[in-house]
Amino acid sequence: MAEIAVRLPESGVPPSPAGAFWAAFRENRGAVIGLAVVVFIALLAIFAEWIAPYAPNEQFRDAVKVVPVWAEGGSWRFILGTDSLGRDMLSRLIFGARISLFIGLSVMSVSFVIGVLLGLASASLGNAVDVVITRLMDLIMAVPSLVLAILVVAVLGPSLTNTIVAVTIVYLPRYVRLVRASALAELGKDYVVAAKVAGVRGWRLMFATVLPNCLAPLIVQAALGVSDAILEAAALGFLGLGAQPPIAEWGTMLADAREFIRSNPWLVTLPGLAILITVVSINLAGDGLRDALDPKMRRS
Amino acid sequence: MLKYLLKRAALTVPTFIALMFVTFVAIRLVPGDPVEVRVGERGISPERLAQFRHELGLDQPVWKQFLDYMWQLLHGDFGTSLATNQKVLTEFATLFPATLELGVAAMLFAVLLGIPAGAIAGVKRGSWYDQFLMGFSVTGYSMPIFWWGLLLIMFVGERWGLTPVSGRIDLIQYYFEPVTGFMTIDAWLSGQPGALKDALRHLILPAIVLGTIPLAVIARMTRSAMLEVLSEDYVRTARAKGLSAWRVVGLHALRNALIPVVTVIGLQVGTLMAGAVLTETIFSWPGVGKWLIESISRRDYPALQGGVMLVSTLVILVNLGVDVLYGVINPRIRHG
Repeated sequence: MAEIAVRLPESGVPPSPAGAFWAAFRENRGAVIGLAVVVFIALLAIFAEWIAPYAPNEQFRDAVKVVPVWAEGGSWRFILGTDSLGRDMLSRLIFGARISLFIGLSVMSVSFVIGVLLGLASASLGNAVDVVITRLMDLIMAVPSLVLAILVVAVLGPSLTNTIVAVTIVYLPRYVRLVRASALAELGKDYVVAAKVAGVRGWRLMFATVLPNCLAPLIVQAALGVSDAILEAAALGFLGLGAQPPIAEWGTMLADAREFIRSNPWLVTLPGLAILITVVSINLAGDGLRDALDPKMRRS
Repeated sequence: MLKYLLKRAALTVPTFIALMFVTFVAIRLVPGDPVEVRVGERGISPERLAQFRHELGLDQPVWKQFLDYMWQLLHGDFGTSLATNQKVLTEFATLFPATLELGVAAMLFAVLLGIPAGAIAGVKRGSWYDQFLMGFSVTGYSMPIFWWGLLLIMFVGERWGLTPVSGRIDLIQYYFEPVTGFMTIDAWLSGQPGALKDALRHLILPAIVLGTIPLAVIARMTRSAMLEVLSEDYVRTARAKGLSAWRVVGLHALRNALIPVVTVIGLQVGTLMAGAVLTETIFSWPGVGKWLIESISRRDYPALQGGVMLVSTLVILVNLGVDVLYGVINPRIRHG
């Protein structure tokens, strides 16, 4: 059993919801570190033009496959070295953060919105609509994620936009199912019945009354969904089915570096490390978010 | 029980029909005319083209084409590969044992390591071991496995020279007819000295790579299931009876904690298939995943369509099996 700690501030005034949330979030050390790293990476991505020493696709013909500064033969000119075309790795990784976060956030927001619409429609309209939506989501879940994404990309052709479309389709069912399940649970509760009696109907009932009470698990799903989307998109990029060269996408960079696995292992190590650090941080922060938002979902 | 089983099985029928529909539509949306792909660059007379279209049934109305497609699928005809001119089902059947062997090895790695690791973490909650394992687990399920595979190739394979980095066995040194399609079993059956060891050496890195995410998930799940079970009354009773800590944890707690873990293991099948695509590509493992990727680059859409259909069918059937199994273990589900 988790012990329930009730800590009232000195003043005796109960904390605001945001304050209570932060207090709970702060207790999880991993989550705070995760959040700090996520913020750091986000800042890198936003201010890439100013932070990165060079443009991501600028080629230095005199410095091809330079090793990082700490390895023998490295120099401060290219802190993390250069790739096979003489492009600065640090700059490409920083701009890559922009691509990956953009993919993660786009997938998350699109599937969030569509998921809420379909989930609420499914829960409130019931009958045929519910059956069709639920079956469709079952179908998407039946196809292994990457296989489905590959199928979508095969049909649409490989590109950054189509990566987002493919990954959104893959992760949509999670949102729809979550919204539908929480909405169905809420619909039976007294406050919803009271609202109905008061004359609230249709979309207003679903959006204004029911939805706000389904948000906690949905926000957690959205946070963790960003990291899943980043991983999936990187995998597509690695298979040559995602963002196309010369875009500095981490997965695509890894695919390019594969043939130099012997001659310059750093080219392989660094982009993967960037993916891992980003995904781990988002997952840590997401776990903290879950613990703080919904004590019932606490994993320990 | 039978009623539950039938009900559950009937629910998958619409999913199958929808799956057929989606793969049918997808292949028609693909840019490029299948007939022209088959004919090639040189082109042929309009009469021959019309005849080709007729043979492929492309001159029929679309609804008729869909019904024909369903009819073929129901008779086990998943189409013909453009690249090899072989039946897709035949190709799939030859390649699938390789994927299955890899998947089984990965799952063994994940289960044999994950359950004890998670159970110990649950018992020693809050210890440094617990914290280490949870950190490891987050890293594990956040892992870009294609990168993890490359790292292992780089260090274990190339730098330390401990294992081979591609294929299923050294084909120059060992050759034998496939019997089961499982390289390790076939190598053992062949009786050639060193063959089994070589097959295992080829299997170990891909299995670790593919098993990493399931390992993380299983360890975490076992830990939280264990925590939940340890606070139950029957565990307290067992302790009060004076049973040794080993008996309490091993016999009373772990057995009950495993129920949710079994479901999680079953649900990893989809993850495994997705991971197999990446793992097989990295390690040149001649399985279904690598074949799917190659059929894209060869523009062999019938193979891709049939392959996706077959892989998804397998996943649906396994999930159905898991559901039924769960109903057997946990009566509350089937009467619910």
